Amino acid sequence: MNTIVALATSVGRSAIGVLRLSGADSLSILRELTQSESDPEPARSMLRAIKDPRDGQLLDQALITFFQSPRSFTGEDVVEISCHGSPIILRQVLDVILTLGARLAEPGEFTLRAMSNGKMNLTQAEAIRDLIDARSTGAARQAVRQISGELSHRLVPLKDRLVGLIVLLESSLEFAEDDLPELQAVEILEEINSLREKLAVLASTYEVGHLIADGVKATIAGRPNVGKSSLFNSLIRFERAIVTDIPGTTRDSISEQINVHGIPISFTDTAGIRRATGHIEAIGIERTHRAIADADLLLVVLDGTSELQEEDHALLDQARTSRSVVVVNKSDAPTFRNPFVQRPDSNVAPVIISALTGSGLDQLRAAILAPFGSVDPEPMALLVTNARHYDLIQRALEALGSSAELIAEKASEELVLVGLHGALLFLGEITGETTTEDILTRIFSTFCIGK
Amino acid sequence: MDETFDVLVIGGGHAGCEAASAAARLGAATALVTLNLDLIGQMSCNPAVGGIAKGHLVREIDALGGVMGRIIDRTGIQFRLLNRSRGPAVQSPRAQADRALYRKEMRATLEVTPNLHLRQGMVVELLVKDREIQGVEMQDGRKFAARAVVIAAGTFLNGLIHTGRRTYEAGRAGEPASIELAGSLRRLGFKVGRLKTGTPPRLDGRTIDWDAFERQLPDERPVAFSFSTDSISQQQLSCYVGYTTERVHEAIRNNLHESPLYSGKIKGVGPRYCPSIEDKVVKFSEKSRHQLFLEPEGHNTNEVYLNGFSTSLPAELQQDLIRMIPGMNEANIIRPGYAIEYDFVDPRELGSDLQTQRVGGLFHAGQINGTTGYEEAACQGLVAGINAARLVASRSKFRLLREESYVGVLISDLITHGVDEPYRIFTSRAENRLALRHDNADERLQPYGRFLGLVGDADWERFNSRRDRIAVLNHALENTRIRRSDKEYSGVAAVVEGDLGDSLTLAQLAKRSGVSAAVVRSLLPGELAQTAETADLESALANSLYSGYIKNQQAVSNRLNQHDSLRLPESFNYRGLSGLSREMCDRLERAQPQTFGEVKRVPGLTPAALSTLLVRLMAPSVS
Repeated sequence: MNTIVALATSVGRSAIGVLRLSGADSLSILRELTQSESDPEPARSMLRAIKDPRDGQLLDQALITFFQSPRSFTGEDVVEISCHGSPIILRQVLDVILTLGARLAEPGEFTLRAMSNGKMNLTQAEAIRDLIDARSTGAARQAVRQISGELSHRLVPLKDRLVGLIVLLESSLEFAEDDLPELQAVEILEEINSLREKLAVLASTYEVGHLIADGVKATIAGRPNVGKSSLFNSLIRFERAIVTDIPGTTRDSISEQINVHGIPISFTDTAGIRRATGHIEAIGIERTHRAIADADLLLVVLDGTSELQEEDHALLDQARTSRSVVVVNKSDAPTFRNPFVQRPDSNVAPVIISALTGSGLDQLRAAILAPFGSVDPEPMALLVTNARHYDLIQRALEALGSSAELIAEKASEELVLVGLHGALLFLGEITGETTTEDILTRIFSTFCIGK
Repeated sequence: MDETFDVLVIGGGHAGCEAASAAARLGAATALVTLNLDLIGQMSCNPAVGGIAKGHLVREIDALGGVMGRIIDRTGIQFRLLNRSRGPAVQSPRAQADRALYRKEMRATLEVTPNLHLRQGMVVELLVKDREIQGVEMQDGRKFAARAVVIAAGTFLNGLIHTGRRTYEAGRAGEPASIELAGSLRRLGFKVGRLKTGTPPRLDGRTIDWDAFERQLPDERPVAFSFSTDSISQQQLSCYVGYTTERVHEAIRNNLHESPLYSGKIKGVGPRYCPSIEDKVVKFSEKSRHQLFLEPEGHNTNEVYLNGFSTSLPAELQQDLIRMIPGMNEANIIRPGYAIEYDFVDPRELGSDLQTQRVGGLFHAGQINGTTGYEEAACQGLVAGINAARLVASRSKFRLLREESYVGVLISDLITHGVDEPYRIFTSRAENRLALRHDNADERLQPYGRFLGLVGDADWERFNSRRDRIAVLNHALENTRIRRSDKEYSGVAAVVEGDLGDSLTLAQLAKRSGVSAAVVRSLLPGELAQTAETADLESALANSLYSGYIKNQQAVSNRLNQHDSLRLPESFNYRGLSGLSREMCDRLERAQPQTFGEVKRVPGLTPAALSTLLVRLMAPSVS
């Protein structure tokens, strides 16, 4: 197994830059770099001079840490060298390491080695990627929870109970002639339903969980000059969009991301919707429609100083069929009079704001999160944040549901077992596989089998 | 060389008989070499064939053209279909055999097989040159040349019998162990381990008080193993069920120091699903009684097999223990039970044709591969015999897939995972359990048997006519509707739970609980209601019961197969991948797969190795 090396921190000027080595030669490479005979104490950081072994030239004073196999991230011998963060120094040290027999790691190779050495399962590896990509504190906190295997930990007892059910049903099939306790359909059904409840609770956290991880895409839309760009700027508190009073100034969609109560929300300001007067504006309007279609949330901005127009009605119709907030702007204007008449078929109450003075913006921030239910990651326990995990838990729920139905229909055990094994397979993709051998072992330790 | 054969089979047990019969019928000049020709087809342990999943194997052997099914049908003295109250996929036939008659029939069958030559004696050496088998050397000095050799030596390889503190070398009670052959295998470098199995005492039926036991009747309508059997001719007998008592358990616990299992004398690993009575009493001490089956050994003997009382305690203690069982206070033991340890060879060295990778032309079948059970042995013997004959004829390897047969499941488990206890088949080992029914083994496998050359014209005609009849029934079930206005409707609705609706097909009706095959039969259109054969109708009903589930499982497996088209780079370096053991690398390098789909079909790859490779292939840059 060859030794790999990579820069573990991001490229560019920074206080420190960490080079990480993994593989059997890590330690001997470190010895050459520090020109030292004595081995470093594992898992202890120490300051060492890093030299080019070819000419003895000092490259940097670095903090080095040696993690001895198997007690390391990858399970192999790992060395971390924290150099000063100059790209030039890092480049030099990296070059020297490459001449000493290591090769550059490929993307994800450290994690891959950790997985193949059993240091982490797929869920944990996915969580590490999520942590690196985390866009808010809430997302980072959830990712940390999953690296420590919390989702697996939560699922393992449920999976264990599922295996218990499978063991009961399988033994009654395989050992029909043995003196086994008779199956009680009612008890089995109760156990399946209890498992379904617990899984459903976990699955329901995805609604919030994926928002924390992936964020909310909110599109601001409205007629020209209703104040979309002013609203966009006050929400992100940054003069990004050019604001003029000439209608049609925003020709392209622009996006910016902020955190609202720990949830990353990416706002997109769009070109105003009207009959286009030029080719470029027409392209802008076309992009607006696409941004509306892609959005998790639609912010419809109305002008509080004028009557509703055809374009406003079209947008409000669209808002009725998706998650949306209706915003009436310009409450500071003397001619303001709320033109929005609530439709009898909608429970949408408009939020009245002034993008200019900032009045009503706090209510707007709250209203933005309201369509997603109670979004407060702080007191929440573990959330399902990954779409794959959510999908797998949903599939497990479906499979268990089909088994429950079959029991109610008094179907034979081999049919009931189809759903149970299916659910086990899906949960196993999160927590790790359960083999037939595991199930047989449980059978033989639970029941006295054998003529 | 004294004689020259194409294929030579060592051992005349259940694996050896199938191997020799198949190879000879495929045209290879075949020798079956065994220690004692009078014990060909001997049932060393319980006198029964089949059981759940094992019965499936026997029917698959029969569909492929093997002999076991026909012989048990002619010699079975109690037929029972197990799991009758459950779905057809997990029902399985089982039959008690007349032990002596079974041997006699097997011997007679082999005697009339063309190209097959029986030879008595002990093989002491495998003759190998340039990693190719050349033949064998016998204890009496004869040398037989053969281009392919199948070892099916059962428990004889370094066999060591234990009863109490006494141990002696033996292959079976009363027969010599095969020591030199075991040494020959070790010298060739095979990885050898030790397993253990045991057998209960046989009692004198005249000394048992039968009234103290519960009678277990044979089925009124016996289900045969062979698709060629019309009816079961042997007179059917009953078995009896009884129980041990706390007094027996107490006595066993007090004498555990006499047990070679508990004194540490036995090193080999025994089967967990066939524990000795000592194990049952120790590991399940909360159970106040353990079930016993009293099984007659045949029409012309007083011997009774005490199933459930496998033991290696001293013979005189066995006698005392038996007499503590209610109804056996005067019972005499004819043959005491014993435990036997024997060599097995790690089956991970085998290809899916059961040929060893170490020595070309050398095949292993049965207990040498770590399995237990006559059925498990027989199906391996059949596959090894077929492939030995095909090798000699320079034909391609014949292999069965897990998806299509229990035989495929068994072989793939063996060569992929190896064994750490004697391996027995279970229905839960088959992912595709609902599709692998005992009654559709013919549909699944008989075309292979025909293609190979083991299924004769008469059986093939029979197969085709049954397949046609079932197709007619499948069509009738899907297309015949019963409506509220029909005169039969109210009668049917009365036996079914819940509402039937205005109109439904017979296939839909059959899935409702409470609907028997007889009810469906009465609703079949035209003459079918009278002429349909029950077995055909049951197969057709099973097809429609499971079809929806099988389609769903297919969808799941398609999801799992979505990466099959990923291509492997030219001269992909497996050795550089952490997580792939050397053995996995060897297998991959030999097979040289082009795509991930082909990787998955390389025999012996573990799921862990597969995912390591998949992650690697999906990584952004593969160099």
